[in-house]
Amino acid sequence: MVKTPLQSPPRSAVNETVEWRLRQFEEQWKAETQFLSDAGRIINHPAFQAIISLGEPVVPFLLTDLESGPSLWVWALPEITGENPVPEADGGNIRKMTDAWLKWGLEKGLR
Amino acid sequence: MSDRLLAAFPGLRTTSFQITSPPDFAYNCIAWAANDCTEWWWPLDDSRQCFWPVGVERQVTLEAFVLAFQTRGYSVCEDQSLEAGFVKVALFADADRVPTHAARQLPSGRWTSKLGHSEDIGHDLRALEGAIYGSVVLFLKRPA
Repeated sequence: MVKTPLQSPPRSAVNETVEWRLRQFEEQWKAETQFLSDAGRIINHPAFQAIISLGEPVVPFLLTDLESGPSLWVWALPEITGENPVPEADGGNIRKMTDAWLKWGLEKGLR
Repeated sequence: MSDRLLAAFPGLRTTSFQITSPPDFAYNCIAWAANDCTEWWWPLDDSRQCFWPVGVERQVTLEAFVLAFQTRGYSVCEDQSLEAGFVKVALFADADRVPTHAARQLPSGRWTSKLGHSEDIGHDLRALEGAIYGSVVLFLKRPA
């Protein structure tokens, strides 16, 4: 799969919102990892790492996405927050991991 | 939607294939090959991120993948031929023999694959060989 250089969004006061940057990186990440099963390559993709680098301000947007269904944002959230509410027994069950993060978001007042 | 698949997997251009599910982040090809659509199987070090059978080494090697399928009753077999009473799995690997993908044989003899976090498709086995998944390197089977 062709990997394009990380596309940093142009900097401007109008479009440089956290969500705008998230969606730019997300689009690139999805396109370039869509056929991969290797979780290491998916997580280490530069666009996924760029999303993690957006830090805590991106967390509410990731949680909103989780409300739509299972998402691999569950692999980014521990890196961003330094927390992990997923029980050991549910590791890899993306649906249950999503539920655990949604519950965590409610408890933190982020949803 | 098909254009995306045809661009990624040139082998699909000259064979028939069917998209059999919408994209889904809940499971991957290894899980789907093992008949599990609830988990993402991969031997990532962090057991709270990905599922991997208990007791199997978390290494991205063919040996570890064979052991993972053995926990589900599979054993290595010779080829992709359709055998009555058995279900087969094909493991794909890159040029360094690093596992990349798995497909499961259907009763018709055709194959089904979950493509990363994208769709499930029905396909000819070799149609997915190429730049992304490498080639088929190993077969396993178990009683159906």
